[in-house]
Amino acid sequence: MLRTGLKRGANVAVMLHKTLPQVAQELHACIGCNECLVACPAVNEHVTIDVLNRETLSGPISTPVARFARSCFQCGACVAPCPVGLHRDAMMMWLKVRLLRSGWRE
Amino acid sequence: MSSGIPIQNKLDTVDSADIVIVGNGIAGQTAAIEARRLAPDKSIVMITEQSHPTINTPALKQFAIGKLTREQLLAFPAGTERAQRIHIINGRVEEIHAQGNYVCLAGGRGFGYKSLLIATGSVPTDLPASLPGRDFDGVLTLHCLHDYLDLRRRLSEVDEAVVIGGGPHAIETVMCLLYWGIDVHWLIRSETFLPRMLDRPASDMVIERVQRAGARVYTETEAIGIVGRVGAVAGIVTNQHQLLPCQLVLVCTGTTPVTTLAKRCDLPMQHKHGILVDNQLRTSARNVYAAGDVAALQDPQTGTYAPRAQWYAAVLQGRIAAAAMTGSAQQEESFGVPWHATRLGELSMLTVGNPLQWLDSATILTDSSRGSYRRISVIDDRLVGYLSLGPTHPDGLAIKRLIDEGLSIRDIKKDLLRGEFDVRKYFSRQRTYAAQRMVITGKLPPPAQVQPAPAGRSLRETGPLAAPGTESVYPLARTAVNTDPTLNVPVHLRYTPSNTGNRWEAIQPARPVNAAAAYTQPPVSTGTLQNSESIPSESEALFFEGGISPGQETNRPPAALRVVESTLVPLPPDAPRSPSGSLWSYSTRLPALRAKRRDGQFITSHPGHTVKQILARSTEQFARSPVASAKEPERPARAYPSSSLWSYTDRHAAVKKGH
Repeated sequence: MLRTGLKRGANVAVMLHKTLPQVAQELHACIGCNECLVACPAVNEHVTIDVLNRETLSGPISTPVARFARSCFQCGACVAPCPVGLHRDAMMMWLKVRLLRSGWRE
Repeated sequence: MSSGIPIQNKLDTVDSADIVIVGNGIAGQTAAIEARRLAPDKSIVMITEQSHPTINTPALKQFAIGKLTREQLLAFPAGTERAQRIHIINGRVEEIHAQGNYVCLAGGRGFGYKSLLIATGSVPTDLPASLPGRDFDGVLTLHCLHDYLDLRRRLSEVDEAVVIGGGPHAIETVMCLLYWGIDVHWLIRSETFLPRMLDRPASDMVIERVQRAGARVYTETEAIGIVGRVGAVAGIVTNQHQLLPCQLVLVCTGTTPVTTLAKRCDLPMQHKHGILVDNQLRTSARNVYAAGDVAALQDPQTGTYAPRAQWYAAVLQGRIAAAAMTGSAQQEESFGVPWHATRLGELSMLTVGNPLQWLDSATILTDSSRGSYRRISVIDDRLVGYLSLGPTHPDGLAIKRLIDEGLSIRDIKKDLLRGEFDVRKYFSRQRTYAAQRMVITGKLPPPAQVQPAPAGRSLRETGPLAAPGTESVYPLARTAVNTDPTLNVPVHLRYTPSNTGNRWEAIQPARPVNAAAAYTQPPVSTGTLQNSESIPSESEALFFEGGISPGQETNRPPAALRVVESTLVPLPPDAPRSPSGSLWSYSTRLPALRAKRRDGQFITSHPGHTVKQILARSTEQFARSPVASAKEPERPARAYPSSSLWSYTDRHAAVKKGH
């Protein structure tokens, strides 16, 4: 369980596929081939993999990436094409958590 | 002053820097960014000969087939260096004066450093210099961005091409060419494909798939000459007395680490096919580090030093080098055994450890059902090597963890063989057992003796380097503890790699053989938790689950004697958590995420789950959005969508039809 920092005391629990270190490990193993984004049925923003990877881990989240994270419905189409066998769905889950924490509004 | 350094990059005020990094490949760049994060005040200078920022080199294959633009190749967003205050000097480092802590750039300019990182990468192994015709136009060695730009420009004029090489790089190149509808002749020098990593059945499987995709494969074949016509390639002559007509010869025969700087260092820097480094990436010269393709790391299984020319290894090394250079070694990360995952045409290949090196001592299990091939090497219930070929990837990083931590795979051998290894189930079961034992024996650790997790974990001290080819001075006799289920007593195992064979030997129980064992074992070992099934504390579970477990460290200092390897930390009362609540999986989806699509609508099987609340908005948004409804019927009933770049064979057929 990971309690998001949405509000102190709100105690919204999110169960994640992977813990942050695992997601970070996978992000570091990402070779940036873009296969996951090509396979993604939800992406309709101009998102590049370098920006997506960086913002999944830390830093401010830009509007296209935030919209993409909102439109991602965790279908898992990104997992099979990955040549390195990584789990973009788990990374997107983290991005969603970060988005929630930041209180992003369109 | 130097004339070779562009004026805009010349740092007038800085003739030395705290951290100097040679090379801006992924290892160097990651090190620079990580060093900036760890040490915001230090000056960081990167000296590189490359004319472009760091790119995703493994993605160059996708670039070659026109699926990526050059902008999409960038590994970090444009302007990262400036934002991170990393100075770039375009130049070449000629020599290292390790005694005076400075490097000499081309043109004679000196540049001082406090820590130096060599991340010069590798150069491609070219065709032999004596090969006739190797200078004809159309003979390309594929390695860097320029080579692929060159290849992309030529692709439209080529009907037949020859690819030379027997590795993953070659097969990816073959698939690129097939994608463009080019006839490919693929020459492999050895009898099988990738003989050091794949065994015969695996190699046959790969070659058969490539042949089915349309390539002509020639094993045990080498080029002995290239035929040209008015300066350009017209064909290639092989040692099997064949003339293969072609307009393009692509050389993918592997890489060699660039160790010139090690040779041009005034202190002896040990190198032999890569600069030898320890686990903190220190070379044998003081204040000089090496990372990336150029660094030769020790394999914990075999004790030999070899470079790990993979993307993930380079990123990891860059980060650890940065931590070591800034003196703030905060993250404890072990390199562990080699891990290699890639796509060979339609097949996903994964090798962890050394699957082919344990022929005498290990039990080899293979499985070749359902269009895939798996081979696992097991010594006494411990996984030592894993090889998988098939349409999908098993979770390679989790399997790497199994090997690195020496966890027992007694119960999951079949799952591993079938490729159905459920990571979450396994690791949560490990914890449940440990918790059960704690409850049954009633030996809960007294709170006063519980060692709190250290805030800053120090990097593992590895000691001096061994000379190449000799026995390492590292304590090779590792110990591990396995709990015998029948006797319920810990069995201590000693791991002794040697020239004759590596094996786990059972040693007398409850008698630590060396200092390391004394640190990891409690003085009174009955009833307490054992190493192989430890529950890390909550914080450690969160932060170390993916990399290194707390029980893995064997060189713990004597002061930090841990009586109990792991402990349960009381949870806040408002968030109860069952011991089996591991976060480790994705193979079975979370109930709330098991969203099924029926008639274009989303139906979640467990509507009450909390995740649903989180995802509800985006799900609804998707269900409403025109994108979803428009794309719905086109979804092919395949294991992966056909929009994947890797389904070359289908594209190939389409291209052929277009002809």
